[in-house]
Amino acid sequence: MSGRSRAVVRWSPWAGLQDKFTMSSSGIPLIGLVDRIRRRIRQLRPSGDIAARIRKRKKVAAAVGKYLDVLRLGLLATGCLWLLALPLSHLQSGTYIDENALQPSQVNTYWDWGDVHRADKFLQDVTSLLDRNLSSAERAVFFATEFAKSGIPSSTQRYSIPTARGVLNGTNAYAIFSAPRTSGTEAVVISASWKSLTGGYNLRGVSTVLSLATFMKHYSHWSKDIIFVISDSHLDGMHAWLSAYHTPTNPNQDVGPLSIASGVIWTALNIDYPGHSFSHLGVFREGLNGRLPNQDLINSFRVISQHTGGVPVLLYDHYEPSEFPGREQIRSFFPTWLPDWIREHEDVMEYGYRAKNILRHFVYQAKGRASGAHGLFHQYRIDAITLFAVPSNGPHGFHALGRTVESTLRTMNNLLERLHASFFFYIITTPSSFLKIGSYLPSVVLVAASLMFGGLGEWVKAGWVEVKDEYMPSEKEKVANATPNSPKKKWIARRRDLLDAFMVVVTSHLAGLSIFVVICGEWLDTTRLAYIITPMCWVTLVLFRFTLRPPPASANAAPLPVLLKAINMCLASTLISVTSVLNFSLAALLAITLGVPLSFSAPSRSLPVCVTKCAVYAVLAFGWLALSGEVTQAIWDWQVLGVWFAPLVCLIYVPFVLQAGVVSGLAP
Amino acid sequence: MTFEFALAVATRTVLAFSPLERLLQDDNQLSSPLTSYSRLQEGVYLFRHGIDPYAGGTFRHSPLSLSFFSTIVPASRIPPALLWTSLDAVGAWALVNIWRSRSNIQRSKRDLRIAAIYLLNPYIFLPCLALSTSTVETTLQLLTLMFASRGQSSLSLLTLAVLSHLSLPAILLLLPVLLLLLSDPLSHLASPKPFPQKLSKCVPLLVEFTVSFVTLALASTLVAGGWGWMRNTWGAGFLLPDLTPNPGLWWYFFTEMFDHFRPFFLAAFSLHLAIYVVPLCIKFQHDPLYASFLLLGILGTFKPYPTLSDPGLFLSFISLFPETYPYLRYPVVTALLHLHAFLLLPLFHHLWIGTGTGNANFFYASTLVFGLANGSALLDYVWAGLRVAIGEEKEGWVVTQE
Amino acid sequence: MHPFPFSTLVFFLCLALHVESTNTDTAREAAVHHFFTRNAPAVPESAHTNNWAVLVCASRYWFNYRHMANALGMYRTVKRLGIPDSNIILMLADDAACNSRNHFPGCVFANRGHALDLYGENIEVDYRGYEVTVENFIRLLTGRVEPSVPRSKRLLTDDRSNIFVYMTGHGGDEFLKFQDSEEISAFDIADAFEQMWQKKRYNEIFFMIDTCQANTMYSKFYSPNILATGSSQLGENSYSYENDEDVGVSVIDSYTHFVLEYLEGINKTGTTSMKDLFDNYDPVAIRSHPGVRSDLFHRPLEQTLITDFFGGVAHAEVITDRPTEHYSHTQGSSDAAIDPMEKDSRPVHELAEVLQTFSDGTGNPVTRLLRAWGSVSIIGLLIARAIFKTKR
Repeated sequence: MSGRSRAVVRWSPWAGLQDKFTMSSSGIPLIGLVDRIRRRIRQLRPSGDIAARIRKRKKVAAAVGKYLDVLRLGLLATGCLWLLALPLSHLQSGTYIDENALQPSQVNTYWDWGDVHRADKFLQDVTSLLDRNLSSAERAVFFATEFAKSGIPSSTQRYSIPTARGVLNGTNAYAIFSAPRTSGTEAVVISASWKSLTGGYNLRGVSTVLSLATFMKHYSHWSKDIIFVISDSHLDGMHAWLSAYHTPTNPNQDVGPLSIASGVIWTALNIDYPGHSFSHLGVFREGLNGRLPNQDLINSFRVISQHTGGVPVLLYDHYEPSEFPGREQIRSFFPTWLPDWIREHEDVMEYGYRAKNILRHFVYQAKGRASGAHGLFHQYRIDAITLFAVPSNGPHGFHALGRTVESTLRTMNNLLERLHASFFFYIITTPSSFLKIGSYLPSVVLVAASLMFGGLGEWVKAGWVEVKDEYMPSEKEKVANATPNSPKKKWIARRRDLLDAFMVVVTSHLAGLSIFVVICGEWLDTTRLAYIITPMCWVTLVLFRFTLRPPPASANAAPLPVLLKAINMCLASTLISVTSVLNFSLAALLAITLGVPLSFSAPSRSLPVCVTKCAVYAVLAFGWLALSGEVTQAIWDWQVLGVWFAPLVCLIYVPFVLQAGVVSGLAP
Repeated sequence: MTFEFALAVATRTVLAFSPLERLLQDDNQLSSPLTSYSRLQEGVYLFRHGIDPYAGGTFRHSPLSLSFFSTIVPASRIPPALLWTSLDAVGAWALVNIWRSRSNIQRSKRDLRIAAIYLLNPYIFLPCLALSTSTVETTLQLLTLMFASRGQSSLSLLTLAVLSHLSLPAILLLLPVLLLLLSDPLSHLASPKPFPQKLSKCVPLLVEFTVSFVTLALASTLVAGGWGWMRNTWGAGFLLPDLTPNPGLWWYFFTEMFDHFRPFFLAAFSLHLAIYVVPLCIKFQHDPLYASFLLLGILGTFKPYPTLSDPGLFLSFISLFPETYPYLRYPVVTALLHLHAFLLLPLFHHLWIGTGTGNANFFYASTLVFGLANGSALLDYVWAGLRVAIGEEKEGWVVTQE
Repeated sequence: MHPFPFSTLVFFLCLALHVESTNTDTAREAAVHHFFTRNAPAVPESAHTNNWAVLVCASRYWFNYRHMANALGMYRTVKRLGIPDSNIILMLADDAACNSRNHFPGCVFANRGHALDLYGENIEVDYRGYEVTVENFIRLLTGRVEPSVPRSKRLLTDDRSNIFVYMTGHGGDEFLKFQDSEEISAFDIADAFEQMWQKKRYNEIFFMIDTCQANTMYSKFYSPNILATGSSQLGENSYSYENDEDVGVSVIDSYTHFVLEYLEGINKTGTTSMKDLFDNYDPVAIRSHPGVRSDLFHRPLEQTLITDFFGGVAHAEVITDRPTEHYSHTQGSSDAAIDPMEKDSRPVHELAEVLQTFSDGTGNPVTRLLRAWGSVSIIGLLIARAIFKTKR
């Protein structure tokens, strides 16, 4: 709203009308009083020069308008750089334990070599199960019997979950040890899945659970029931068991009911021990849809493992740079063409190590994928992690693992209430340091702010256009203005017809929906081409429909691409900032994959540029379909575990990129 | 027009029978302790079994609702779903009628758009699907203003009396409704003039309202069998006994309040609601319908137990005042705030109640965003409503507020 | 004869004799006093005739085991030195001994190695669990308790009582948390002590507190005859002493541990003074700087015996003049505190009864239905009237 303000009408919403009323004989006597109050207020206020104020305001607005592009690109760049800076150690703080009640690593453990011996015997039995090639039902019966032999009530559960690629069948075994001195309203879970997250068999994990059950029976200091679960397969077994546990009425026909149950589960430890011995214990924490366990659980476990178990802790199976076998692992993180003196530099190594941890976390969290069987617990408000015994030639075995698990359980046993709500937002970068929400969230919020500024800027651009002014300045003003010959410009308002823009938005989202329906279909594998072609048809249809559209009839209406871009950017910004509190990695992914392409969409007069841009956007929108493995996995996650990533990509990401494509494809 | 209207209503009927209702029924944002259908059912059950429903703290509906749902409408599954859908349809019809009275025409192209904006407004149809009795209040509010716009004083005042019984803060609408009855609903925003009638004329109307109101109070006492209902229904708005979260601004404030400050702040909050009435009515005496519209916005923002349908009604009303659109200063900011609030409210509620990774502050923050969105809409419409009178800016001139 | 001068003479004679006799009384008393005290030690004996102890553990929950152990350790010591259970008020959440997390059910230990079970068999907890509140503590000190409160829960002291007040828990600058739900401030305790002084509820008070920034808690006292000590100064934490790996938590706080250790060497007839105790504080071992406040206390510390507060005296004294004054005084004040409650509660109760009879929901179903239909028909009539009026 530029234009010189030559004069000012003094006007106030509390003023104008009363001046008229005082003339007429109004029926309301209050007017006089209001008038008097108004005059009093006016006396109190310093009477500043309003015209100067308006001019100043306009100058600021003009400056913002002028540097808007710089501002939003600056914000975008800052946001992206911030994301790159996350592994820097300056942003991070050391881990600590927030909850007083936990008291980790302050107990004597009673797990001794006798228990280790028992675990070894269980291992022989379990190995023979594998050798004899028993069915899952037979295995489960064996486990349940072993639990029962220890004097703990046990049972099995069958399930069959239908998916697009066939039915998943299996049987879980579980046992519930009721704490002898409490009411049994609370419980903790110790679990092992039959398959390890490495893909092998989790024989030693299962043996540990069986042996722990016998061991824990002998102690009376438990304040929570202990549930032992040996779930079939890797994720689906635990999913079936948990959904049956938390839906007692069992509306879902796919999973069998549980015959025995306990109270509310607070914590779960999932044991994954695929090798024959281990050197480190790795922590896997990511759950479905980016949920994380409370950080206190991880921190307590780290303290206990190091002090009680004597086992160093890793994130995932990433060795630290200070450790000898890890140097190669971290060096391989950097491209080989980098000179050795850079790759070997200590700070670079450290950065690389942290970046590797963050990246792996981002991939799990953004995809909403569980990094182990523990990830299924989080949706029921259960804090859970997987203890991964990193396969190695030694030196640790059942003894260290048993002690660590026992002590961790004692610590969780101390809990009186839920862990603090503030400790769910973090990014762990090394076992002993993490990023607080304040140091990572701004990166994505900056990108979202950049998009929001862009969108609002486009909105203003849609409503106002600068044209040359025919008005000749008067003599007085010629004197006042130093450059009288500069061409006068003025702003005129334009109509914003949102309907067309909304139609494009709705169409693109429908296109996204149709893609989703197509890739969820069972016939996906056989006619691979079809699912590439269908959306392409959509996009070309949409692009042509609007590219061939005649230009707006009048200059008084805002052009479609500007409006569309405004809506597109505002919606994307809202989406990114809202997602950032729910699942930061996903928000970061969206910030990069939406923030950058959407910021650079613009209509062009030259046909080749236009076509190239459309092609780029089409590739961005549909390129991911070529990664058939990932797509299949995402669809499986959605159908079996209810992970939102696949629908989100189809219904949110694709339409937004398509809209940006339409913006670029339209005539300016 | 009729066909499209029927289509929209039919879609809602289908939705009303979907399993959505069970999911939404006890949602904190859609039904407050004063409007929850579950609580209404509980009250009716207690009443049927000879227990005074007002003896406990769960039932806070008006005795009028109690008598209505224990006699005419059985509180089972299907009749309420139909009733609520038809209430919304009636609301849309009333809104269209207000528009017709205001523009003084029988039928216009805008009718359908207005009805659609009302029926498709998520703030309106979600509480309706949740069977929140705030839908009833919304409809009654619309009917009151419709009758008032048509000059049907008895019906209008009676509707307002019933409405005030269901939700006491609505009584603040009395003054603008009286002014509306004495004048006309046409838009005079562009040409402000003093109120044309003598104010003494509203005395008989006031008497009529008082008579209806008192009669209804007696009817309430008859069904409740005592005066205890007043404390539990009207008193709840002043004493805030139930701090169940809602999208309004009161609950968190009073959750954190030390007990000895409570009475003072309760009084301050309650009075605060009332102070807007007279200034708005004086300032907009030339257009009482616009004053009622702004008051609806104030109620939706600052009411003790609001649900989403209270601000929803205010937002739906916007479609009646197209003459103000060119003078709005920041409509897109308001729209974006509402978009954020609409996404954040359920999300933070879920983080707090569902996953447990957030706490009450999260939800409170989202209600603040929501309050901000409503407040910005309200302020912008106060500005625009007054700004219309000045007309278009001339070249090189600027209108400013002092 | 003139009877008048004679009688005047007699009167003056009597008066003179009386004055003489009082003079000789005081002289005689002094002589007696001298006789009795000539072999006594130079220490001026405290003027108290009975000893009381108020031991407060303001924490609860398993991980605050050490606070429970602190209070129980003090309990054991004062009992050992002769204060009977009837004169000890123990406020304890008492959720440690029988906690399901306790590896040794029914036992509380204050040191590693489990040498001494503090819970034992003879424990009398007067205020237990959720009864440990700020309100109950203040009411206990000031004697403003309800009439239904049993004697075992009252501090039945008089102006000849020496009181030992021990508090432990989580605190900070001028406050102490009670069970994670409320706080008592230094001002609250100071005012309570002043009220006790005015009501003649104590002779001397020895106040000991073990918490973080404990010394701030006695900084607000202003009543006479109070000796106070705390475990740590402003801005300083009090730490636990040791951790038992079988119990799994810290078992005692550092300051209390060293105080108790010192008191172990004292018996009922010990002549160790408070100064000795305070001089024994070792900030290095305790890991905080304990503080002492004696400006309100009128006796020199080296002449104040530890047993003046920790031990029990069994002085019996025959009181001749105004025998029931103290008793009626305290009694009266507590009555005054209670009366308004009783007066208030009655009309409220009556009102509730009236309301109850008024709003009976328990009519028979037909009446109820009739009432409902009645109210619906009233609304119907109103609507009909309005429509009729509009049509007309």
